[in-house]
Order: sequence, then C-alpha cells, then structure tokens
Amino acid sequence: MKISPSNLIFHEIIGLNVQIQDSSNKYNIGIDGRVVDETQNTVVIETDKGEKRIQKKGTKFVFQIHYNSIPKKVQVEGNLLHSQPENRIKNIMKIRMR
Amino acid sequence: MGKKKLKKKYLMKDLAHQRISILFKLADAEYQSNPHRSNRYVELARKIGMRYRISIPPDLRKRACRKCNSYLVPGNNCRVRIHKNYVLITCEKCERRMRYPVNSD
Repeated sequence: MKISPSNLIFHEIIGLNVQIQDSSNKYNIGIDGRVVDETQNTVVIETDKGEKRIQKKGTKFVFQIHYNSIPKKVQVEGNLLHSQPENRIKNIMKIRMR
Repeated sequence: MGKKKLKKKYLMKDLAHQRISILFKLADAEYQSNPHRSNRYVELARKIGMRYRISIPPDLRKRACRKCNSYLVPGNNCRVRIHKNYVLITCEKCERRMRYPVNSD
C-alpha cells in the first residue's frame, strides 16, 4: 500500500514537504519546509531560516504527497499524528475499515 | 482471529516494510550533509522493525550498526575486511564488529 491521502497518518512523514495552515501558536502559521525529524509531541521542519520544532497538538498541517504520480495536498489534524513515530502504524487497528 | 483483524495486521506489516525502506533511502541521501540525521533515521527504522516483528532486508541490515545505530558507509565510518571466510564490518564509532559469511548473499 503506497502513500495515499487515506493512509498518510500511518505512513512516514519524514521527507515530505509541509506547510502549517493553522496553529494555536500564531507565530507558527505559514511556516513551510521539509520534515526532517519527528518525536511523540513534535515535528521538526527545515525551513530557509533554520530548523523549527513544532507541536503536533492544535496544529493543522498540509502535506504534499505524490499519489498515483500526481502531486496532491492533504490536510491533516496534528492531533491524529500525536503518538511515537513507531507506534503510529498501530493505530490502524483502531479505525473502521470497509 | 477474524478476517478484518487479519487484514489489518498484514496492512500494518506492509506499511512497516515501506517505512523502513523510505527511512534508509533518506539516511543515504542525508549522510553527506547531515550525518546525525541519517543516524536518527536508522534508529527509527530499527525501532519499527522491532515493534512489528519484521526483519530488515539483509542488504540494508549491513548498513547499520547494531550497537550505536549509526549509518555505516564503507571507507567513511566503517572498516570492511575479509578474515577466515567471514566479512568483518567494524563500526569506527563504537568498535562493534559484525560478522557475515563471505557467501551469504
């Protein structure tokens, strides 16, 4: 299963281009760059002005992915990403599947 | 185990395989400019492998130190020698040695 809008929250987000659409911290809005690291609570984004560590909770991210070799923008609530990077795949057991 | 649960379990392992290969690719790309990042990616990849009980492909396994999780590049931060029909890979950071039979591939 390749990366797609439906499985993005279980997939690897390191290496993707991202933009911050909304945040509880107003100074974070508008930051865009490439994700270089991830922890349980934060995402590290490499921008032109250096690396920015951004809280996942209360932030709306817009990720750019290539789905069927077409560039696509996917909006993701940061609360859905809130878990350790290696534990994030496990959340697939919690969702309902058709 | 029900059919749906089994399907999800296969999906989980598939995603884990993909994430491991992506992380190793990123580690390779970042090594020249930011070696500490590539070590972090290797650490994450190994954690995913352990959590979902899948083995890292043999060609990638030899690129990571089992002790200090650093990304190994022959000629840069690891030594590769042949000794008594074994390939000896020594990590130059922690001196950990890994041994593989010469004809293992």
